[in-house]
Amino acid sequence: MPSGPSTIGDFSVLPVSVPPLPSFPKNAVHYLYVRRNAPKIPTATDARSLFLTNVPVDSTEAHLRALFTSLVGAGRFESAAFEDERKDAHSQSQSPIDAAQPAHAARLLQAHGKKRKREDEEAERAREEAAARLPSTWTRPLRKSGGTAVVLLADEKSVEQVLKAIGKANKTKKYPIWGGDSLPQGKVPPLGSVWLKAHNRLSYPDKQALQASVDAFSALFARREQEAAEIAKRLRNEPDEDGFVTVTRGGRAAPASRNEAEEAKRKMLEKQDKKKEELTNFYRFQLRERKKEEQAELLKRFDDDRKKLEAMLVKRGKFVPEA
Amino acid sequence: MDSAPAKRRKLDHGQDGVEAVLESAASTGISRSRAFVLEAEELLDSVRLDYDTALPGADELLHRIKGAVEGINAHDPLPVAEAASKLEKKHKIKVPFPNPKPQENSNYKVAFAKPAQFNVVGSYVSKTLVKTQKSHAVDMVIVLPEEILQEKDYLDLRYFYKRAYYLAVVASALRKDLAGDAQLSYEYLSGNHLCPVLAIQPTGSKDKDSEKSENKGALDYRIRIIPCAPDGFFPKAKLHLGATLVRKSCDGEPTASSEPTPFYNSTVIAESCFLPYLKVLRQAEKKCAAFRNACILGRIWLQQRGFGGDIAQGGFGHFEWAVLLALLLQGGESKALSPSLSATQLFKALIQFLSVTNFAEKPCVFGPGKSDLEAHLDSGPILYDATRQLNIAFKMGPWSAALLHQHAKWTRRVLADSAADQFSPTFILKTDVPSHSFDLVARLNHNGVGKEAGSDFRGQTWQLGSQVYRILKRAFVDEEMGERARLIHIQTPECTSWALTDAPKTRAKSTLEIGILFDPVNMSRTVDRGPSAGPSAEEKEECEDFRKFWGDKAELRRFERDTIRETLIWTSTTPFDLCEEIMRYILGLHLRIGQLHDEITVYGNGLPALLSLKPADTTLFNVAKKAFGTFERDIRDLEELPLRVRQIAPICPELRHASVKPPVFGSTKSGPRPLECIVSFEASGKWPESLVAIQRTKIAFLLMIGSLLERSKPGEIKTHVGLEDAKFETENLAFLDVVYESGPIPSGSIAISRKLSLNYISTSLSPTIRLVKHWFNAHKLSYHFTDEFIELIVLNIFLSPYPWDAPSSASTGFARTLLFLAHWDWRSEPLIVDTGGDMPAADRTAIATRLEAWRKIDPNMNHTVLFVATAQEPSGIAWTTSAGQAQPSKVVAARMTSLAKSASRLIREAGVELDCRRLFVPALKDYDVVIHLNSKAVKSTLKTYANIEPEDELESAGRPKFKNLDERTGLEPLPLVRYPTDLFLEHLCATYAGPLVFFRGGAEDNTIGAIWNPQMQRRAFKVNLPTSYKPAATAGQKRAKGDDDDEEQELVEVNREAILSEIARIGADLVDKIEMKGA
Repeated sequence: MPSGPSTIGDFSVLPVSVPPLPSFPKNAVHYLYVRRNAPKIPTATDARSLFLTNVPVDSTEAHLRALFTSLVGAGRFESAAFEDERKDAHSQSQSPIDAAQPAHAARLLQAHGKKRKREDEEAERAREEAAARLPSTWTRPLRKSGGTAVVLLADEKSVEQVLKAIGKANKTKKYPIWGGDSLPQGKVPPLGSVWLKAHNRLSYPDKQALQASVDAFSALFARREQEAAEIAKRLRNEPDEDGFVTVTRGGRAAPASRNEAEEAKRKMLEKQDKKKEELTNFYRFQLRERKKEEQAELLKRFDDDRKKLEAMLVKRGKFVPEA
Repeated sequence: MDSAPAKRRKLDHGQDGVEAVLESAASTGISRSRAFVLEAEELLDSVRLDYDTALPGADELLHRIKGAVEGINAHDPLPVAEAASKLEKKHKIKVPFPNPKPQENSNYKVAFAKPAQFNVVGSYVSKTLVKTQKSHAVDMVIVLPEEILQEKDYLDLRYFYKRAYYLAVVASALRKDLAGDAQLSYEYLSGNHLCPVLAIQPTGSKDKDSEKSENKGALDYRIRIIPCAPDGFFPKAKLHLGATLVRKSCDGEPTASSEPTPFYNSTVIAESCFLPYLKVLRQAEKKCAAFRNACILGRIWLQQRGFGGDIAQGGFGHFEWAVLLALLLQGGESKALSPSLSATQLFKALIQFLSVTNFAEKPCVFGPGKSDLEAHLDSGPILYDATRQLNIAFKMGPWSAALLHQHAKWTRRVLADSAADQFSPTFILKTDVPSHSFDLVARLNHNGVGKEAGSDFRGQTWQLGSQVYRILKRAFVDEEMGERARLIHIQTPECTSWALTDAPKTRAKSTLEIGILFDPVNMSRTVDRGPSAGPSAEEKEECEDFRKFWGDKAELRRFERDTIRETLIWTSTTPFDLCEEIMRYILGLHLRIGQLHDEITVYGNGLPALLSLKPADTTLFNVAKKAFGTFERDIRDLEELPLRVRQIAPICPELRHASVKPPVFGSTKSGPRPLECIVSFEASGKWPESLVAIQRTKIAFLLMIGSLLERSKPGEIKTHVGLEDAKFETENLAFLDVVYESGPIPSGSIAISRKLSLNYISTSLSPTIRLVKHWFNAHKLSYHFTDEFIELIVLNIFLSPYPWDAPSSASTGFARTLLFLAHWDWRSEPLIVDTGGDMPAADRTAIATRLEAWRKIDPNMNHTVLFVATAQEPSGIAWTTSAGQAQPSKVVAARMTSLAKSASRLIREAGVELDCRRLFVPALKDYDVVIHLNSKAVKSTLKTYANIEPEDELESAGRPKFKNLDERTGLEPLPLVRYPTDLFLEHLCATYAGPLVFFRGGAEDNTIGAIWNPQMQRRAFKVNLPTSYKPAATAGQKRAKGDDDDEEQELVEVNREAILSEIARIGADLVDKIEMKGA
């Protein structure tokens, strides 16, 4: 195996040896790229976390735990957050209820900039949302190919140690093994046929549970809607600090019934049509003009045909009968 | 002869509509189909020959030949046998006497004298040769001098003996004169055994072939020397169709029979008509400027349909076309075509004429004359030129006239359909491939059947063919019982040329090809009801006749309303088998052939057999449909639903008769497979405004419907609400599976979705769709194509079947679908399937414009590739894109086209003998990676239970099973949301959309092919690579050498092995083996 570079850009290259499988009896080497975590918006745990890219698609936290254990020993690894999960986490505050919230209400809330979040309220909210969430249909997600993850270690020292261990592995060519012995048996749901079967099973959740989840959602949704309506109502008459009054939906009178509006429109169109019909070909110039138009149309079509033919000629071969 | 009745008849003829049709053809042709006219002009330009470069030296050669022939010494009459043997001894040249050969002791005398006239005739002088002809010939007639002929020579082949001798003398002289410059051989003029001619192939032109760079346009051509009789020498009145002119049998004894010899007679007349017709054509050319071009168009049209002047090619070629057109231009009284028409108008007019005139059924006469022609229709179609007293169609069989008529009708239909592409089906497509045209093709090998040469001079095979035709026509085209066949065609073998020193080759065994085009409805009839057996004499006679024809098969049966009829009962079930059964029976009965099994071989059933398409499948589809009906009723019967059901629409191929395999219910091997349908409810203002909330509300709704259904039919219905594999909250989240105790399960989901409704337009539509889907499966394409797309493609073949009629069997439908796919230029052409048949032209233009716009926005075709629009779905991309991505992608679409091209080529080249399995062999070596799935593991995934952990199940699989101990006994398996392997592949595709393109057939396909995306090259390292990359190897090596280049180090390349090992891990027990190309 040719030895690759031990670093690439500001990443350390962590080769992981993948044991052969009966279906693919080859020793493959997967390359993870590791560096200190330095996100654009710093967080408190940055100093003791590592940023990984090109994680294998079948990665789980257990896999990474095993990997880091084989590098620096047990007890250093705290948790891992994968790309897709982190995104989820980011959008958590938005979904699914907020996404479902009447759009204008959400906008209003934002515009109003009202801080209504308190600690206990937030916890309550999370609990409610969890109840409203639909159960997942997969026992284990696949990661994006070439995706990233952030690994949180015990302390800053561990970060140093891991990077050092990676360098050492590169030098000695003793690569850690993916899903090796240190991966605890039975902790990771298996892939393959069991995984697919489990999916089919999970696709049919218990009816009561499903009903409960939907009910929780509806309750939450109704409450939010009401809240939004209340805010809207309040804002309707209340100028903001710049003295502007926000225009909100739901005003004085309810809109006329849809049917009536449609009927009115139909009548109007009919009237227009009738007028038009009465006046076509009323004057001679109209007739003349129409004829002229028709002729122009014919000419245009003629021209189009010619153009199309020319285009076909460019492609060639179209005009020779098949042998 | 009394001319009055002739005149009246002619008027009658006009009333038939020919006249009106011709007029309308002439007047409507302008401006309606501009494109067709332009394209035809373009076609004329591209096929026209430059005679100087194409036929170099033809004129000189003709002059040389003339000189050489003129230089031959005349000699006095010699007895024919003596003269022939002298020629053979001296020049080693055989005289090509027609059969029966002159008797050794006969006292006919032959002589030689300078020809009365030389003349170059045919397409060379009229300049109507085209580049794509199979062979190019320059025809030179030499008129036999009157002094060596006698008036009575028209009897008993005497003229033909003299002609043959004359030809042999000319041949001997020319061979001497042209030695080395040209190759001489005999051949038959138009395959007519009475008229051998001399073919002179300049060797020079062949040499030039080898050094093409010098003379590119040169064609292989030959000069044919055609001896003929002087005009008006033989008394034509005595040569009418009913005359018996050959009164001696083979052994020279006069025979008593006075059977007329129409073919012989017409040949004699034709022999003296070369120059008169030359004059006719010349006049037409002079009179009508577009005549020549109309002839070229006609030549191409005929050629693409396999027609030619040869007897084997139907006996209707360019010459007949030109003469017919000239006669129509001359006209009699009123039905003349205007000479000011353009070439395409003339062409259309003649097509119209051919489509309304069936001269196999009714004689068509030009000019005043004959009234008694009807009687001669038995001998063949009649197209009578009264001025020259020749039946122009004398070389045609009744079948070729019928085929010509049919083709003209089809072409007329294309020309009338302004929406379709009129040009390609008319002139470009080759439509004489039997597998495209006929539903059943049979080969008849015969030796010595019908040994007697008889009164016909077209050969034994031809005669047998005409007998077979007559019998099959009676058997299959019976109006009383309902016509089983639309067309019966007989193909006789073609004649080849032979050397001067040999006798013409006679094949010991020759093959007759029979092609039959079904009427699918009538052909599937298993009981034929003949005439009713009544007491009247007429009825008795009819029954007698029926019994005589059908033999022992005819039996009396009683039908409803107490009618007793002669009846035929057939045992087969499919149209194809029925046709074969009847054909074998009736030919065996009347001709005593087919008794030995190898005499008749039948082709055309390979494809349906491959898929074991059975008529019983329809029943299974109907079961599914019925189940759906029950479901629909049950839903509509639910009274407690808060909203009214507006529509329940099936959306799965099983309910459209369009799945490869008919739906199976109650299988023990897998969980029940749902049939998908959509339930739409009336609109209501009560739905929440947010899409997410709507989706949740739908779940609640489904739960409610489920419990209501269960309550309405307790014990019989079981429902499951399932969650979709949705990524966003706004997508459809759930569906409801309804399991009926008796089997099938409709699975409903509430959604607004596009749908395709296949009207059941033809019995062969469903099997064709299934065959085509099978083909997509076999070539691992179907993963990339929606069912609806494939169905629309096939539907298109049925809706615009030009240049044929809608396919009447699955085999022809399949072959034509492949032909369409091979020709479809999806880069620039939208496919417009007009299901209603009434799409306005403006809509079509709008669709075409939309495609153009797409191509402009997205020239690389990332988002739209195939463009298929219908009236309901004018966007054109509903079935060919998913989530903004082209489905299939350009790569896959191109692969489809190339596969269809090679399949079409194979179908054409291998002909009817093609082993159909070859069309369905996947080319596994084309793939970079082949993933073999473990069929056992796949099978195990088909069944899941609500209360058993899949993992436990796996463990228990190893235990010896005792049914009564197995906890699964009595448990109903859960329905199968999706085929698990489909899901597996879907995950692979989603995960490796960048580096790999996967190919897989239908649900049962256990081999997945994949190719590496060539655009995924090595690239600079960055965060968030599109797939698994490894540091580039070369970079490492360079570094080792000390060549420290920073940029080089940053490069990474696709880590193929790691990716494959990931796939192996995802698949785990599902994957048997992953093969990598070159590893």
